Formats: sequence, structure tokens, C-alpha cells
Amino acid sequence: MAQKSVIDELKKSQILELLAQGKRIDGRALDEPRKLSIEVNAIPKANGSARVRLGDTETVCGVKIQPDRPFPDMGDKGIFICTAELLPLSHPSVETGPPNPDVIELARVVDRGVRESHMVDVSELVIEKNKSVVGVFADIVVVDYDGNLFDACSYAATTALLNSKMPKWEMKDDLPTLVEGAESDLPTTTIPVSVTMAKIGDHIVVDPNGDEWASMDCRVTITTDSDGNIVAMQKGGFDGFTLDEIIKCGELSIKTGAQIRETLKNAAKGS
Amino acid sequence: MGGRDSTMVLLDENGIRCDGRKIDEPRKIMIKAGGLKNADGSAYIEFGDNKILVGVYGPRDVHPKHMSNTDTGILRVRYHMEPFSVGERKNPAPSRREIEISKVIKEALLPAVILDKFPRTAVDVFIEILQADGGTRCAALAAASVALADAGIPMRDMVAACAAGKAADTIILDVNNEEDQAGQADMPIGYMPNLDKITLLQLDGVLNPEEFKKCVETGIAGCKIVYELQKKALQEKYFQNGGDQ
Amino acid sequence: MDNRRKYVIPGDVVTTGPFRPEQNVVLEGNKIISTTVGVSEIYDDSVKVISLTGQYLPKINDLVIGKVISHSSLSWELDINSCYVGFLPAQDVFGRDFSAHADELTSKLKSGDLVAARIANSDRTRDPLITIADRDLGKIDSGDLVKISPSKVPRLIGKKGSMIQTIENATEAVITIGQNGWVVVSCENPEGLLKAKKAIQMVNEQAHVANLTDQVNEMLESKGES
Repeated sequence: MAQKSVIDELKKSQILELLAQGKRIDGRALDEPRKLSIEVNAIPKANGSARVRLGDTETVCGVKIQPDRPFPDMGDKGIFICTAELLPLSHPSVETGPPNPDVIELARVVDRGVRESHMVDVSELVIEKNKSVVGVFADIVVVDYDGNLFDACSYAATTALLNSKMPKWEMKDDLPTLVEGAESDLPTTTIPVSVTMAKIGDHIVVDPNGDEWASMDCRVTITTDSDGNIVAMQKGGFDGFTLDEIIKCGELSIKTGAQIRETLKNAAKGS
Repeated sequence: MGGRDSTMVLLDENGIRCDGRKIDEPRKIMIKAGGLKNADGSAYIEFGDNKILVGVYGPRDVHPKHMSNTDTGILRVRYHMEPFSVGERKNPAPSRREIEISKVIKEALLPAVILDKFPRTAVDVFIEILQADGGTRCAALAAASVALADAGIPMRDMVAACAAGKAADTIILDVNNEEDQAGQADMPIGYMPNLDKITLLQLDGVLNPEEFKKCVETGIAGCKIVYELQKKALQEKYFQNGGDQ
Repeated sequence: MDNRRKYVIPGDVVTTGPFRPEQNVVLEGNKIISTTVGVSEIYDDSVKVISLTGQYLPKINDLVIGKVISHSSLSWELDINSCYVGFLPAQDVFGRDFSAHADELTSKLKSGDLVAARIANSDRTRDPLITIADRDLGKIDSGDLVKISPSKVPRLIGKKGSMIQTIENATEAVITIGQNGWVVVSCENPEGLLKAKKAIQMVNEQAHVANLTDQVNEMLESKGES
């Protein structure tokens, strides 16, 4: 879950002790993300999908593409909506019911990462201006929790969108009608990749696992695009970063982001 | 469950159904016990094109306290469909259909679970439909039973499940989505195979008394097939060196 | 003792006839049915199933490792890796002269402390009663906590303690095993500590493997394992 779980002081001091020696509790280097495995087309009936395992955190994203009415003042733009839900089976502390602020933050940060990078060009999603547009819905669910939902959800959404096939619609009698056999790849312009870093004591670690997430003082999620630009950022947690730390995080996010981008690209190709 | 469409060919002259199956043939089924790291028990099922994940927590504390029972543990079931699981994207908020199915599945599991040794606790069953293609409640119930066994929740029997129905005036086993939309009856059944008890039974459609009897019998035969796969799933996880320890 | 053993799942008939249903079985008519995934054992007059899964359920006299989670002025609450929380009354530690005014509970045990304890009483209508009033029980000052599945505890102990003794002898570690699946390992030698912990995890993950004892021995004897 995105909020702090109860961690005993014993574990936090263990983590700090190891960090002082340049080590992490699971043996990774401080700037090393966990093993990332992706299964594309996990939900064949959706227009695109991906099942992501980042360490023991697991998420599934399904993309549905269907005709929709445009927003009132945006008749020349299609719709892109990204949601995230923390499923109660993912962790014993997750409750059913309306999403809490942590989950809402998670969904909005993942959405912004994709939206601000302009990965999906909504001006290409118009069927008839002011009347009918294409709606692209990327819905993410978290199935198993072990820290860093921001990145696990972001990778699922990005890969699912890269994997997506968009049907073609034509207006007939004022209604969008499916044109059989005219599917194409969903047009995408870039590959946004988020990298989340946590500050524990004076150390910055990349891709915190569940125990590190519960011990951290603050965190920042930075999303970069295929050109190496930073397109979205979100800081969270109860402490603060120094300027130097944030600059370092920016650099880490570009470097690590580039490596992960290759993984996402290769995974998407396997569809 | 949609209107009846008379144009689709549900059963051809050779007795073959729209997806190539014979009338007493279930879809391809795969069940796996375990798989989730945090849940106390879990299971995953693919039943035709249905893909369903179940996680179980418990026995565990009940919040709010007033919902707990001082004599016995309580069972809670949540059947939930992901927005991307169906043809037209579904709103994430729980629908009345999901709430009804949650209740029906809970009442199919209650006769099997033994919770009187866990007063003041709850056992939570979370069913997530990742992809739906007709018959999700039966597939979900079968997986839930495996997840409960995986969690070590005491049960007097497993609960298997399968649907039977009628299409083109013929009783068929395991109704798929097209047959559900265009056929004449759909009867999901939940069944405890050793105690020989039906714990889930619903019907949507029209059956005369003979058809009704045949439909139930066909469904139970399907449940027995599913039961063998539930056993296999647990054996594969727990009894790896087979036979004796 | 006729200890015919069989793998069973819930609903499987273990046997019929005049046996006493003992653990993880129920009587339905004249059939004794398993209620869990496990191994059934039939003795002279009783039947039980050893469960291969499920959380720890407190049983009277079990030795458990507990962690203090909170306290009132009269007792501590312990996490014993179960849905039921262990209840340790102050008198158990301070003695009968305990006075809620004079004696401060945190002077003896505070949140986060680990204890080796025994289940003194367990009826399901109340939380299990814990005691640490024996010589081999009490606060654990040092050592690492390793968590395994409670169903693997018998395998970790081994026949007449053979497995645990093998690990202790090879590593010079002192290992305290709780029936609740929590195990405390202390060792002066850091390499021995790591090996002991690794051996425990091996048993937890491969309890079903036929030549586990050999594999554990092999790992313990090898040099320079990290």
C-alpha cells in the first residue's frame, strides 16, 4: 500500500546500519532497481495489456479503447484516462471502499507521467470533431504489494499502451460504427519511464522495496521521456530533500530510466 | 444477461457448438494454487477465456469490532470485476450485480468452511475478475475454494462449480458468453463433491421439468470435472513427491 | 502404532470406523474427513491430519516466540504470529506483589522486545494467556528473528531434534524455535549466523524434498558460503 505500514524500529535500524556500509537488506546496490518482468497481452480481450512484476510487487494494466463523447471544451481532442486501484488481496492492510489519499495520489501521479509526456497524442483520437472521439482508458490494478507502486503501475500502463491495438470507427447515421479488420497500433510518441527514489537517513535508494518504503523519510518519483527530458515529478513523505539530493535524483532517474525503457520496449515487442 | 439473438448458430447439425465443443464438453480449465506473496492463500483460474485471481486473508481481526461474532468466525466475500475485464469498459465502482454475486458465492462457501474454532475473526475472500467470458461466478467459486484450502481454512469439503444450460433446445455443459447471450437457459451450480450437496444454484431461462433435471445432472457432472482440477492444483503445490512423505 | 499416512485435501475421507477424530478432521456420519491440506495419520484409536498450510493457532503448552506490541498498566500484548494476540499479565513477570502504581511495565519489557514464552491457557473465547515464568523463557536480548511457516516447524526440529542439532553443531549457533514459526538464532561468529539462517530457510522452502537432510549437511560443510 502506498502509505507507511507499521515497521518495527529494529528493522529500520537494521536498514540504516546496512546503508552505512553501502548495502541494502536485499543485497542490491543503492542505485539498483529490482528484477522487472513483464508479460504483455496478459488480458487478450482488452485492446492492450501488461502484467508487471517489480520484485514482489505485481500490477496489471488493461487498456480499453472505445468511442466516447469529447469533453465540452475539447471537441478536437480524444480522451485519455488512467486509473489505479489497490486491490484488497494485495496486502493485509488494504481495505475495501473508496480510495484513500495515497491511492488517489498514486493514480494521479501515474496518469500525469503518461499525460505530460504526450505519449498518447489525443489530437489523433478524433472520429468526428465535437461529436465523437476515441477514449483510451488505462486501468491499473495492484495485485501484490512490496513497495514502490508508482513505478510498478507506471511500467504496466506504459507497456500496455505500447501493446495496444486501436480499432477504427466511422460515423454512420451520426453514430460511430466499427470498421471491421481496420485495427492499427495505438499511435504513441514517446516512452515515459518513472523512477522512484527514497531517502532513508542520508542515503538515496532507487526502487525501495516494502521494508524500505516503510522506513523512508521521504521519496520522489521522476518521470523521463525517450529524449531524456524530465516530464513529471512528485515528492512525498514527511521529510525533505536538499537541492543536491534532488539534482542527484534527477540524474539517477535519467540513467536508470534509460535502462528500464529498453526493458519496456523489448517486452512490448513480444506482442 | 442480455437478449436472445436468434441469428447465431449455437449448435450445428453435427452437434458441435459455436466454439467447436460437444454438448457435454467444458471449456479448457487450468487452476493454480498459490501465487500471491502477501495473501494467506491464493489461487488463479483460467476457465475458457475467463481469467480470475482469488486472494484469501484470515482468520484475522474484524474491524469494525461490532461486525465480529463472539461464537464463530465470519466469512466475507468480494467479487469484483476490473474495468478492462469486459467488452465495454466497466466503471470501477461496485455494481449491484457484483454485490449479488458476492453474496451468492459467500453462501456457496459457508456450508463448507468450519469457522467455529475462530470466534471474533473474519476470513476474507477477494475475487478479482481480470477477464470475463461467461460463467465467471462458477470459475470464481472454484478458485475461491482452492484459495481457502491454500490458506489453511478448515473445510468439510471443497466446493466445485460449473454451469449447464440450454441452447438450440439442447442441454449443454459450461455455457460460454455467446451461449449465455443467445441461448435459452443458463444454470450456474456450486457443489460439494464428497458431501453431495448443491450450495450454489441459479437459473436464468425457461426449462420444462425434464430439462431441469437433466440440466442439474449435467451441471453436477461438470462440477466433478472441475473438482479433479482443484485437487490437481493442490497436489501440485503441496504433494510434490507424491504418495508418501 | 499403525501410522498409515496419506496425502489429503479438505473433504477427503481418511477412514471410516470407530476412531476418535483428533486434529484437522471431522466426523460426518461414520466417515472421518480431513478439513485441511495435509498428511493424515491413523493411530490405534485416533485419527489426525498434519496440516501443510495455515496460520499458527495457539495450543496450550506450546513454546512460542512473541514480540511485544503494546501494554496497559496491567499487562503486555504480544504478537505471536496468529490472528489471536498473546496476553502476558504483569504478575507473571513481577510476581504476586506486583503493584500497578509502583511497578512500571516498560522497565521489564517494552514494545519491540522479543520473548521466548509458553502458551499457558488457550480457549477461543479469550486471547491466549502467555507465561515467561520458567527458566528457559523470558526476554531475548540478542539474536536474529527468522520467520518460517508454522507447518514446517516439525521438519526444522527433525526426528528427536536431529535437524536442529545438526545445524547448531555445525554453526555453533543457539537456536530457539517457536511453534508459531518464529525462530531466534544467535551466534557469536557472523559466518555461523549466516549459515544457520540459511539452513533454516532451506528447510522452510524445501521441507518436502526427500534428501533435504543431505542438502542441508552439504551446505553447512561447504566453506566460504556468503
